[in-house]
Amino acid sequence: MESRILRPTLAIYTAAFLLFLYGPMIVLAILSFQSSEGGPQFPIRDWSVYWYQHLLGLTETSRVSQLPVGDSLVRSIVLAFMTTVVSTILGVMSAEAFRTKFKGSGPAFYLIILGMMVPGVLVGLGMALLSNTLGIGRVWWGTSFVLHVVYTYPFAFLVMLAIFNRFDRSVEEASLSLGVSPAQTFRRVTFPIIFPGVLSAMLFSFTLSYDEFSRTLFTIGSQLTLPLAIYGTFSVEIYPNIFAFGVLTTLFSFTLLVIYGLLMKRFTAKASRFKGQEEN
Amino acid sequence: MLTLSRVSRRYGETTALDGLDFVVPENTYMSLLGASGSGKTTLLRLIAGFEEPDQGEISIHGERIDGQPPHLRDIGFVFQNFALFPHLTVAQNVAYGLRHRAIAPVTNEKEITERTEESLALVGLSGFGHRAISAISGGQRQRVALARTMICEPRVILLDEPLGALDANLRARMCDELKAIRERLKVSFLHVTGSETEALTMGDKVAVLSGGKIVQSDAPDTLFSSPSNVDAARHLNAWNIFEAGLCGAAMGQGTIAVRFDQIDVSPKGKAPDGHPWLSAKYLTGEFNGPTALSFFRADDGTLLQVIDHLSQPRLPDMVEGQSYDLHFAPDAARQFHGAA
Amino acid sequence: MTALSTDTPTQSTHSPAELREKKDRRRAITLLTPGLLWMSLFMVLPMCMVIYVSFWTQTTFAVESTLTTASWERFLSSSTYLSAIGTTLRVWAIVLAATVVVGYPVALFIGLFVRNKTLQTALLVACVIPFWTSFLIRVIAWRPMLGTEGAINVILMKLGIISEPLTFLLFSEFSVLVGMTQIYCVFMVGPITFMLGRIDPSVIEAARDLGASFGTIFRRIILPLSLPGVMVGSIFVSVMVLGELATAASLSGRKVNLLGNIIVSQVGSLKWAFAAVAGVVLTIIITAVIALALRIVDLRKEM
Repeated sequence: MESRILRPTLAIYTAAFLLFLYGPMIVLAILSFQSSEGGPQFPIRDWSVYWYQHLLGLTETSRVSQLPVGDSLVRSIVLAFMTTVVSTILGVMSAEAFRTKFKGSGPAFYLIILGMMVPGVLVGLGMALLSNTLGIGRVWWGTSFVLHVVYTYPFAFLVMLAIFNRFDRSVEEASLSLGVSPAQTFRRVTFPIIFPGVLSAMLFSFTLSYDEFSRTLFTIGSQLTLPLAIYGTFSVEIYPNIFAFGVLTTLFSFTLLVIYGLLMKRFTAKASRFKGQEEN
Repeated sequence: MLTLSRVSRRYGETTALDGLDFVVPENTYMSLLGASGSGKTTLLRLIAGFEEPDQGEISIHGERIDGQPPHLRDIGFVFQNFALFPHLTVAQNVAYGLRHRAIAPVTNEKEITERTEESLALVGLSGFGHRAISAISGGQRQRVALARTMICEPRVILLDEPLGALDANLRARMCDELKAIRERLKVSFLHVTGSETEALTMGDKVAVLSGGKIVQSDAPDTLFSSPSNVDAARHLNAWNIFEAGLCGAAMGQGTIAVRFDQIDVSPKGKAPDGHPWLSAKYLTGEFNGPTALSFFRADDGTLLQVIDHLSQPRLPDMVEGQSYDLHFAPDAARQFHGAA
Repeated sequence: MTALSTDTPTQSTHSPAELREKKDRRRAITLLTPGLLWMSLFMVLPMCMVIYVSFWTQTTFAVESTLTTASWERFLSSSTYLSAIGTTLRVWAIVLAATVVVGYPVALFIGLFVRNKTLQTALLVACVIPFWTSFLIRVIAWRPMLGTEGAINVILMKLGIISEPLTFLLFSEFSVLVGMTQIYCVFMVGPITFMLGRIDPSVIEAARDLGASFGTIFRRIILPLSLPGVMVGSIFVSVMVLGELATAASLSGRKVNLLGNIIVSQVGSLKWAFAAVAGVVLTIIITAVIALALRIVDLRKEM
């Protein structure tokens, strides 16, 4: 039996692949506990949380300047939040529209999808050129924000499209037949049922926007978002404080994921209970 | 009174309804019998307003409703899959229409609770209000769907194969209950089904939908004993339909129908005088408990069935593959003109 | 609307069905308008702007809207820029091939060999989780890994395999390729696993019962059925790799200049017209790649 050789081989290969995926992050996490004299490489002189303190501004003056994460973190979160709200609303509206057949739905679909395909540098460059020509200032809540939505709206749209594909239209018709207006039907029936999907769309939008870099690069102006503040350190020498930051931001992303998981569990637990509608 | 006149509905090349005329009288349990794909669900969807007709008029009490949005039509709809709101409890499902409808919503919580209780009691679900939809059985869901519709007191209630999702035992019980509930409500039900027994048991009147038209609409016994055309007869699943020519000159031309229970079998050449007869080969028999079905193939290939009641057997012993004479009283045959 | 111009005796020329259809269509278009408008204003218009500005006149510190092909001529005659196109295409091709080669066996294992649904999901989640962490941090994490005093060199030297640290590991094209392969592999593993997961196991069992070897089964059943997944994954990876700049900026030590890096450096020195030319060239390359891929798979169906 070939699979007797093949299966373990593939299993070992997959394990190696996971090591390849996680290895650098693990090394980075280890090095983030480097002592204050240590550099961004092995060996570890001494285990310490010095660089975490340094990151949070809790250390005495140091040879390394502090990472400019404070304000940029707030900006990034606010921006991601704005992006999430707008792209989720647009995504739900568009996916709802696609439930009706209409001429030109093909081109419209591809126009939306293009938003996640077009490289960030290109739209970023275009937006910068446009704002230069029109004399509009480049700010994170303006030029960057609209591009973030261009990027995340297609994801929200696709998630909602998948949700509506599995949606049983008859519950909406039941609501209409009970004399409830289409708007109220959406609010009272459709929305509560698609809510887990909306949650996924929001998670996608938030993470993508929070981490977005190439679209922001040319459109940000002087007040930077978090990824750009990090990017700024690329050109200069790096220190373990950026590793400490990496660990913290990863933890933040995981927290989001866990919150999402818990919320999802609550809603899908409810959903699975009524999946058996047709059975006795 | 719900009236449909010259209603047509096409989907691209296929015609679902073709100039259909149909009347559902007041305070009537109307069954609508049609094969699957005959457009019976389309008909209900047109009445409810989920779709609109390409031609024709739909009116209720003389007021046209086609063109109106569904939520203003005041027509109840019970879905085959019940379409209950999965995120609401039984009581919330039932109260939903009262609470949120566009016209005259009830805001008084006490009234809502009372009417919900009342409605649940009517379908025999008192005390189930707090349950989740997932925590009740199929038959109970059916009743919740009904209660949810009835509480709004619509002008007519459409039921789309309401028993289709239930098992056989439950179906028989729900049949009786549906009838009883309707009689208490005094509102017309239009019950669509593909089963002739269900249509005949339930309906005060039974309409047959075939070829996009209502081919007959009559009381169940009238329909069963005297279908007025081939299509209606075929849907009742109780009539042999064959060319009159098979019986020689005795029956003239055209198509005739003879009920399964009104055909007799005799050995070749032994058909009684005065009875029209045709020759057919015995294929096989099938026992259905109190009745037995025998299948024959006529000379032109038509399949014929003869039903025999076990308490009063009237068929001779038969050998598979042998030909027999099938005969019937002249007045047992219904003669139709036009093609079969 | 045409009711007035025709002499038909009927009052209304539109049946209720047509009116309903029209109403539904109008509703769909109303719902879609904000999104499409957003995309037109903030994606299509900027892209047009890039094309437009690529024909503007570049002066030392500014651009003016006098149309010229000077920027194009300079771009296409400069070996620096032309080699950037070459580098971009080379990096793209290698990374694409690497993600397929590295990712396919993993997808094969997860999608086909793991029967336990929970384990399958867990493995898939394990592959996707890195995507959830910061992209730039993942890029930078390769530095302590590949550097001369990095983890790999330290381990290899401890094991006695090498005596001198390998220097080609970091700040080279190699590090860029490794980094990109790791970062974008997920987008290849996901779609392929999805497609493989849709294969009915009984089909493979039946083939095995009929005496087919794994090689035959792979060639005849698994490979053809997983190809749409490879194509979808390739579209994702291609689009992202072609538009890349951060990995090269961080890991190549300025030795690898992709078109994305060219755009950044041109914008940095206010050479907007040159940046725009590089942008248009990049657009053409990406369009060609996507068009090619879309000829092979219908994205709308696969999603």
